Amino acid sequence: MDATEVAAVLARARQGDSEAFRTLVERHSRRAFQLAYRITGNEQDAEDVVQESFIRAYRQLGRFEARAHFGTWLHRIVANCSVDLIRSRRARYDHTSTDALDPADQPETDAPNPERLAASTQIQQTVAAAMTELSPLERAAFTLRHYEGRSIAEIGKTLGLGTSATKHSVFRAVRKLRAALEPLRGEA
Amino acid sequence: MTKHYTEDDLILYYYEERSRRGDIQSHLDACDECADAYRALAATLRRIETPEAPERGDQYGLEVWQRIRHRLPEQEMPWWSVWFRADRLAAAGVFAVLLLAAFVAGRWWSAGNGPQLIVANPPVPSPPDTAPADDNAAHRVLLTSVAEHLDRSERVLTEIMNTKAGGDISAEQRWAEDLVAASRLYRQDASDAGEHSVALVLDELERNLLEIVHSPSKATAATIDQLRRRIDAASLLFKVRVLGDELRQRERQDTQRPRSLSAHTS
Repeated sequence: MDATEVAAVLARARQGDSEAFRTLVERHSRRAFQLAYRITGNEQDAEDVVQESFIRAYRQLGRFEARAHFGTWLHRIVANCSVDLIRSRRARYDHTSTDALDPADQPETDAPNPERLAASTQIQQTVAAAMTELSPLERAAFTLRHYEGRSIAEIGKTLGLGTSATKHSVFRAVRKLRAALEPLRGEA
Repeated sequence: MTKHYTEDDLILYYYEERSRRGDIQSHLDACDECADAYRALAATLRRIETPEAPERGDQYGLEVWQRIRHRLPEQEMPWWSVWFRADRLAAAGVFAVLLLAAFVAGRWWSAGNGPQLIVANPPVPSPPDTAPADDNAAHRVLLTSVAEHLDRSERVLTEIMNTKAGGDISAEQRWAEDLVAASRLYRQDASDAGEHSVALVLDELERNLLEIVHSPSKATAATIDQLRRRIDAASLLFKVRVLGDELRQRERQDTQRPRSLSAHTS
């Protein structure tokens, strides 16, 4: 789909054409799921975030500026929906282990030997557990910075934070993760 | 070698956020202590791999669509779009024709075909026609801005309410500090616009944000408890949420109301 077609689809979707919106959903769902999963760390939560994000996007589509990029706009909605969902389910996160903690669920890699694989898996499990201890904003800010490679300015814009607050969310997240990984220093 | 870089500086450097990267690089080349600290930090961050999201097939988008298609809400239209609806355009056309007819009739009447008006006082210049519309637009901008400000404030208050004892609240404090300044301006604007109930909530919000700003960053259980009690006592989160919803609703009503009416009723 070239830029002209995308603009036409967006224009129709903004006029309430649900078939046009369907095209946008089909085009952006996988990327939205990936981001939601990285922030929430939970498959079912990520599914909920994707659906809620598209519903929110549809409701606000009339306010979407045509010259902006739909993917960027949706990215912002997904990040904020993820933060909202983590907040609302925080109690659950406090009392359950994460999906990623089961080694059987870990994706297979090309690691050269079992010891290294085990150590790497342990590190990722520790990171996953430590991520659940971060505040929703720390978690989202760190995910966007570390996994998604977004700049502090972009993250601030996405999460509606000032530059200073964004930086400190990242700093706190890094400090907490470093503390969690300290006992594993030298492994892997 | 006078100044060592902090962990925060090094984190920004790792993520290539520092503007003076050359200075830090030179310092790291010369200072073993900072170089060791950076190496340790970078080694840890490099170990944090991007988690692989479970695979979703080509049909995933279609599956999402099937799940949400019956749940799609009505779209919120931008404020200007209400003027371009067919019924509004038709009404505007009728209004324009009536206005033209009245103007023509008035000209014909005052040209001597009707009773002459005796002007006792010089005519008072009327304010420009755009003034009420401008006021209305400014008022709507104020409602939108305050609603967004309340959203942000709700977030920081929620963060504080969820902070565990002994937690570091410095990020929330900086965030609250940004909000205090904005809150003050919005409160003044709300007062000037006659939105006294909005100004009252903003005043209460400002005082609580200041409490957060001036609390110790390393929040003890007592500090957190005190902040929570204060927020709870004022039902502040509830007020902020309700007012935010109300302002958004009013903003929507304003945008849906014909300009001629809203200008008189605001």
